[in-house]
Amino acid sequence: MTARRLALLGAAVVMAAALAWAARPQPVSAADRVDRIAAELRCPVCQGLSVADSPSETARSMRALVAQRVAEGRTDDEIRAEFVRSYGDWILLSPPLLSPNGLVWLAPLAAIAFGAWLAWRRARAPALMPAEISPAERAELEALVAADEP
Amino acid sequence: MTRIARYAAVVLILGLAVTLTLAFRRDPHDIKTGTVGKPAPAFTLPSLTDASTVSLDAYKGKIVVLNFWSSWCVPCKEENPALVDAWERYRGTDVVLIGIVFQDTADAARDYTARLGNTWPSAVDDDGHVALGYGVFGPPETYFIGADGVIAGRHIGPIDEQTLLTGIETLRKAARQ
Repeated sequence: MTARRLALLGAAVVMAAALAWAARPQPVSAADRVDRIAAELRCPVCQGLSVADSPSETARSMRALVAQRVAEGRTDDEIRAEFVRSYGDWILLSPPLLSPNGLVWLAPLAAIAFGAWLAWRRARAPALMPAEISPAERAELEALVAADEP
Repeated sequence: MTRIARYAAVVLILGLAVTLTLAFRRDPHDIKTGTVGKPAPAFTLPSLTDASTVSLDAYKGKIVVLNFWSSWCVPCKEENPALVDAWERYRGTDVVLIGIVFQDTADAARDYTARLGNTWPSAVDDDGHVALGYGVFGPPETYFIGADGVIAGRHIGPIDEQTLLTGIETLRKAARQ
């Protein structure tokens, strides 16, 4: 193996190691977890705001409860499930797809699919062809055109 | 438009009409999602009036009307006469009324109960976590808990005497059966 090839191989190994190092799982702090879960929960007394974004007292209570549960060692899923038990799937800003609320996400897709199906059917329909006319009809038409000519 | 497309459009419109009809027939105060039909979350909270605690476990086997309130909440004052009537009517029976103060200070809440003469047990949910466990949106909210410990109903907003009595009597009848 030439020195040039060895250098290229070494560079490739160094790059792969650097990428692997950069992509390694980062430890998530408790505060990060609280922020992430709070951002996924809907503030029940607000209009479309997450718990993370709302300054309301209810949102502050919810955030404090999330922080308490994180400190107790509960998993993210367990914490989300606790709020879902109290408020239903509605409390999640992104409800699970297979739930009554989640079906709302499917409605636009169903409408698009229906529209695409209609367009496909229309595109496949045979184009309008000029009808065949009989020699007698042709003669009659020519006579009419001739009569109109000055 | 083909026949299938026409049928699909009719089905969609009918589905929308049925959905809207069912949605508008529902009482917006009677929200079934969340904790209704499930066991009432247990709690032990400091009493508003003395150094004791108020615990749901202490009322096992009884019908519990749980009312979440705050002293600053105007609809809470509106519903107070209905709560007083229910308390006087069922005092000493198998029905218990418990108030839970949240999003409020204990001093303001004590002043409120003293002014209005409320004598039923009230507890202080200082951090609001009990209210969150019940799925409360805001004061006032009232929960009807059956003798079996399951939440049978929930009323959002100020409750009137008729709704209170109907809720309680339905649970009493169920407990007797």
